[in-house]
Amino acid sequence: MNQREKEEYLREYAVLKSAGKPFFPYIIVKDGVMMIVVIGVIMLMSIMLGGELTAKADATTTTYAPRPEWYYFWAFELLRVIKPPYLVSLATVGIPTIAILLLILLPFYDRNPERHPLRRPVATTAGIFIMGAMFFLSYLGAEAGAPSQVEIGPPPAIAEAGGATMLKWDAGRKLVAQSSCGGCHKIGENGNDGPGPPLTEIGDRLKEGAIRETLINPTRPMPSFAQLGADNIDKMAFFLASLKSGGEGKGTTGGGAEGTGEESEGGSTPGQSPGG
Amino acid sequence: MSDRRPEQSKYTLDRGIPGAFEGETITRRRLMVFAANATAGVAIGGVVLAATGFAAGQPFVEVDTGWHDVGPLDEIPDDTYLPRVITLDPRTGQVGKSTIYVRRRNEAVDTEKPDKWNQIIAISSRCMHMGCPARYVQAAKNFVCPCHGGVYDFRGEVAAGPPVRPLDRFYTRVVDGRVQVGKRFSVNSQIERFSPRPPGQPLDGIGQYLYPSRPTQRKIPGT
Amino acid sequence: MAKKTPKLASAKEAGVHAVDFVDERTSISGTLRWVMFRPIPKGTNWFYTLGTATMVAFINQVITGIVLGMYYEPSTTRAYESMKYINNEVFLGEFVHGMHRWGSSVMVILIFLHMARTFFFGAYKYPRELNWVIGVALLVLTLLMSVTGYLLPFDQRAYWASVVAMNIAGNAPLIGPFTPDIALGGPDVTTLTLSRFYIIHMMLIPGAIIALIGAHLYLVVKLGTTAPPWVRADKVSADLKEHEG
Repeated sequence: MNQREKEEYLREYAVLKSAGKPFFPYIIVKDGVMMIVVIGVIMLMSIMLGGELTAKADATTTTYAPRPEWYYFWAFELLRVIKPPYLVSLATVGIPTIAILLLILLPFYDRNPERHPLRRPVATTAGIFIMGAMFFLSYLGAEAGAPSQVEIGPPPAIAEAGGATMLKWDAGRKLVAQSSCGGCHKIGENGNDGPGPPLTEIGDRLKEGAIRETLINPTRPMPSFAQLGADNIDKMAFFLASLKSGGEGKGTTGGGAEGTGEESEGGSTPGQSPGG
Repeated sequence: MSDRRPEQSKYTLDRGIPGAFEGETITRRRLMVFAANATAGVAIGGVVLAATGFAAGQPFVEVDTGWHDVGPLDEIPDDTYLPRVITLDPRTGQVGKSTIYVRRRNEAVDTEKPDKWNQIIAISSRCMHMGCPARYVQAAKNFVCPCHGGVYDFRGEVAAGPPVRPLDRFYTRVVDGRVQVGKRFSVNSQIERFSPRPPGQPLDGIGQYLYPSRPTQRKIPGT
Repeated sequence: MAKKTPKLASAKEAGVHAVDFVDERTSISGTLRWVMFRPIPKGTNWFYTLGTATMVAFINQVITGIVLGMYYEPSTTRAYESMKYINNEVFLGEFVHGMHRWGSSVMVILIFLHMARTFFFGAYKYPRELNWVIGVALLVLTLLMSVTGYLLPFDQRAYWASVVAMNIAGNAPLIGPFTPDIALGGPDVTTLTLSRFYIIHMMLIPGAIIALIGAHLYLVVKLGTTAPPWVRADKVSADLKEHEG
């Protein structure tokens, strides 16, 4: 902005101001209404959501999956998607520092005298893009389940069969969760995307027998799960073979969360090594 | 602009300095400005320095975590880990403790040089990405972190995900057939010992210089 | 009615005297007039109440925070128990705790909305650059408040979020290893950490925030509230002429 543009703005603003109403009481009424809305929302949230506490802090846990407050989910997801170890400091201090510097210096590098959002296409697009990216990362971060759990509902065929079939399926699901398959494979919303292939729809690609064979004699670097015993391997293969595209009841995660609930609650009993 | 005063006059009044009065010289003004700043600076600085030292000094006093008994030697296997809880600070309850995983040294997998501190391998459960609680899973023989996708192999080396170095370890020794666990130390990808660093700080290449060790926690010299 | 008048009149007179006494010694009435009766440009809408809304959320945090501090104990062995006590025993305990906990979320949302409004309306431009910088500083301080406040209940969520947050802060090269030590008061989260975070959360950052809000508001009053960018002076003055005519 040069001197002429500055003076032009000040003149324009003086005209607008002279046509305005006094702050008190014409404008402040709106602010007062907004105050009531804000305090009302806070009180309502407090009544509906409460001030709940989780278990007491325990440094010895090996089962607790830490998650940040929701407005840091974008940063949490950033730490998850930036995989190469030499880029970790970029995700932790690099990007946030650059973001804050860009914010602080905004009025000094944006010298465009125009103020209307539609006449500042670059700034408006950049603003919308950054907000969109933060929303998208936050969504991914909020969705990310712990790799030590599998929160997938049974496919309709198995849910209908019930009884022994359902029990076998659920036992397989728990075994898959406890055997840290999620460490290397994505399973629904749980698990890490890599280095192994996602297992969410593994049933489309491999038959139950082939899955069983892979669990016993895998290609490196996947470890062999033979020591779990043939019976457990059967259950895991049965569960994994049921994971097909379109077939699973993704919405019904209730059973899933409940099934592995005891795992995440038992914070004070460190390191049960299941199946070992 | 019209009544230009001589630039080099020694009186402040002649130079149009703010707050000038009759007879005040430049040197006198400078002395008084210096004195005003210095007196306030000394007074406030004294308090600020003392307070800063008080607040930031204590964290740099070395912490001695001592040796902790984790049970008899013959209980400890060499093909899996046993979880053990050690108490680093008895005054702070559950947060003064830490879970470690112990096993016997296994020549088939452990390639680092044997010495008197690593007959028992004691591995910290803190993920070396951001410090979340990692967990050993015997079925897959690996350590899995629940936060950002870190996975470590049987030796605690990074198998997948963003962690920057293998899981931290502890010095161990055997006294009268019982295993004791001592100080924590960090390792690089060759399992060489370094003074402990917080998670997220790489030790390979220039990492150890970019992230210097602190006086609070030191490895045993010469190890 | 007529009987009451002398009493009322004398009471009113006393009030006027008191106000005059203060005003004679402080000249505050001029300042108040300057603040309260400053003209606000035509066309301001509900987006312009977001700043007040943020401040109200902050005032809510101050008030609920002060009363929570009356029951809270910043010690590793007692903090969680005192929070349980607040939740379960104290009259209105969970309500006030919830207001503080969710008030922080509301405050963060409002800050983001307020910043988005300022950004898209171009309100950070001349002559209000400095106010934008102060605003960003307030955002950073608010996020620091949320980091330090998150540890205080000392439950699992609080503890592990703080561990991760401190390790993130420790990731800066060279100074990195020392920042967690200074922030935590040692290599790990201990009682020292809790009392540190408590005093930072209760005094240090709130003091800075209040001072910066003061500066922010002073600049808002001095420079004036912006008009929406689509309100143009030529139109407004044309309206003015019509009105006068």
